Amino acid sequence: MPPKVSLKKLARKGGLFDGVKSNIHALAIGVKYLVDPQRSTLLYPKEYIEHRPGYRGFIVFVKEKCISCAACSRICPSAAMKMVRVTEIDPKHPDKPRQKQYPVINYQRCIFCGFCVDVCPTEALYHVPFHDIVYENLADMFMTLEQFQVEPQRPAVSEGLPVVYEVDEGKGLVKRRRG
Amino acid sequence: MTSGGLEAGAQRIPGVTVKKIEKEVYEIFIGPQHPGSGHMRIIVRLDGDIIVEADPDIGYVHRTMEKLSEVREWLKPIPLLERMTIIDACNVTLPYVNALEKLMDKTPSTRASYLRVLLCEINRVASHLYGMGIFGVFIGHSTMYMWAFGDREVFVELAEVLTGARLTHTYPIPGGVRRDMPQDLPEMARRTVRYMRGRLEEYRKIFVDNPVIVKRLAGVGVISKSRAIELGVVGPNLRASGVKYDVRIAEPYEVYGELDFEIPVFEEGDALARTWVRVEEIKQSLNIIEQAVNWLETHKGEPVIAKEDFDKLPKLHKEVYEKEGRVKLVPAHATMKIPAGKAVARGEMGRGEIFYYVESDGGTTPYRVRVVTPSARNAIVFKHIVPGHTLMDLPAIYGSIDYFPPESDR
Ligand code: SF4
Ligand code: SF4
Repeated sequence: MPPKVSLKKLARKGGLFDGVKSNIHALAIGVKYLVDPQRSTLLYPKEYIEHRPGYRGFIVFVKEKCISCAACSRICPSAAMKMVRVTEIDPKHPDKPRQKQYPVINYQRCIFCGFCVDVCPTEALYHVPFHDIVYENLADMFMTLEQFQVEPQRPAVSEGLPVVYEVDEGKGLVKRRRG
Repeated sequence: MTSGGLEAGAQRIPGVTVKKIEKEVYEIFIGPQHPGSGHMRIIVRLDGDIIVEADPDIGYVHRTMEKLSEVREWLKPIPLLERMTIIDACNVTLPYVNALEKLMDKTPSTRASYLRVLLCEINRVASHLYGMGIFGVFIGHSTMYMWAFGDREVFVELAEVLTGARLTHTYPIPGGVRRDMPQDLPEMARRTVRYMRGRLEEYRKIFVDNPVIVKRLAGVGVISKSRAIELGVVGPNLRASGVKYDVRIAEPYEVYGELDFEIPVFEEGDALARTWVRVEEIKQSLNIIEQAVNWLETHKGEPVIAKEDFDKLPKLHKEVYEKEGRVKLVPAHATMKIPAGKAVARGEMGRGEIFYYVESDGGTTPYRVRVVTPSARNAIVFKHIVPGHTLMDLPAIYGSIDYFPPESDR
């Protein structure tokens, strides 16, 4: 069935009785939530959210898979990913150093759109499912090639418990402890 | 504005408007430091408690979206344009993608269309809840603020499960969408819908039918039908004034023409009617979400990007799609050229009609991207509707038109 327009009317309630009734309704709802409140606050860092695998968080680079095609740096909409040139020495041919280029990332600029991960033809980039990493200064947000290959650690993991949020029919978002 | 009225010889500073104020008129500057949902300023002139003039002073969050789009390859404006209204990210970028599809002569798969509609409606509910929350705190009802923002989180969560990002989803791309939905999403969406239906009833009792709120909203900021048309107001504000216009029925895009839903229209045109339109629209969006997930669950098998594109994908890309439902891009996406031409596309965002004009000269970047957002059109309400009300009514009017400066200023 195609969509249609439906003309609606505001129920104009003016009488004293209506006013009293609506006031009581409003107060009753208030009392209901006073007695049985709905809470979904995350007590970070005592708790942290464990996101699903598909979550677009920080990015990790797997150098062994990379074919130096530079597609990731070309598609990056915020120019966060750049290629760096490195000279590699193959143990089998130590006399012939090779020029290679690999991506590095600047988290000052990255917007976590995931284009780089999606465009990589060899799956050499992947997301870790979290965002909550803090740097002490801006310069630290430039990953070197070595840092870019290490899976980052969330600070909350050491002191907090993992939780997941689930949708409940009666309570909305509810927090459940994991493990 | 001229500096008329000043004595001859008074110093004139370039770029500064000097205006003589009537003796009894009091001028106050509201903003620009975040008076509501973003940086903007309203210059209000008061006679006693009555507003005699209101000047919306917009542009504080202008980020040259249109110009920036011209220097980015075709795909890259998508995450950029999202930042006009991150709370309504799919609705705000979908017409841009539609315009590209028109230029490229590409049709998204039906499954992709349903997924787009699903995310658009999730965004619409989230956007309305955001608007209602801000509205609540404007008029001193902080319960509504807490509730609406808490319940918006449920929809943000739903969008996150679908796309992998809370707000800036970057979901539609020319030809389809970037991910298929996870297996358990339909069940989660149904639970969300049932939860929200129950919640709306409670919203009614504590907010929209609450006598305190009704007293502050009824008859305030009335935009008559002819006035709304004359001012070019769009979206729920227009439909609260009795105009039966919604892009989803005026010019159905994606699969909106096949879905069963209603466009609620009220005739009163006051702040209360505008609030009711949003409540009723949330109900309809919930219906659409339900229909979309039902369809998606029963029509599996089709890829979420255009068939001809999917067939061309390399083996690894297909494996990733089978395993994770993630559509991998190809390097050609970064450098693609779009045939020269012009295209227009529009869509209905949470706040109203959004319009795009995209022109290509055959190169790798757009030649021109023009975007007109709903808030840009609604800003005029401040100038023409606010005068004559008391200052106390200003937050009620501001909140009820759900004006969002970052969207308006682009
Ligand atoms: S996630 Fe997006 S912004 Fe970040 S590096 Fe990748 S392409 Fe660039
Ligand atoms: S797209 Fe992948 S393979 Fe190509 S340079 Fe980037 S990481 Fe390496």
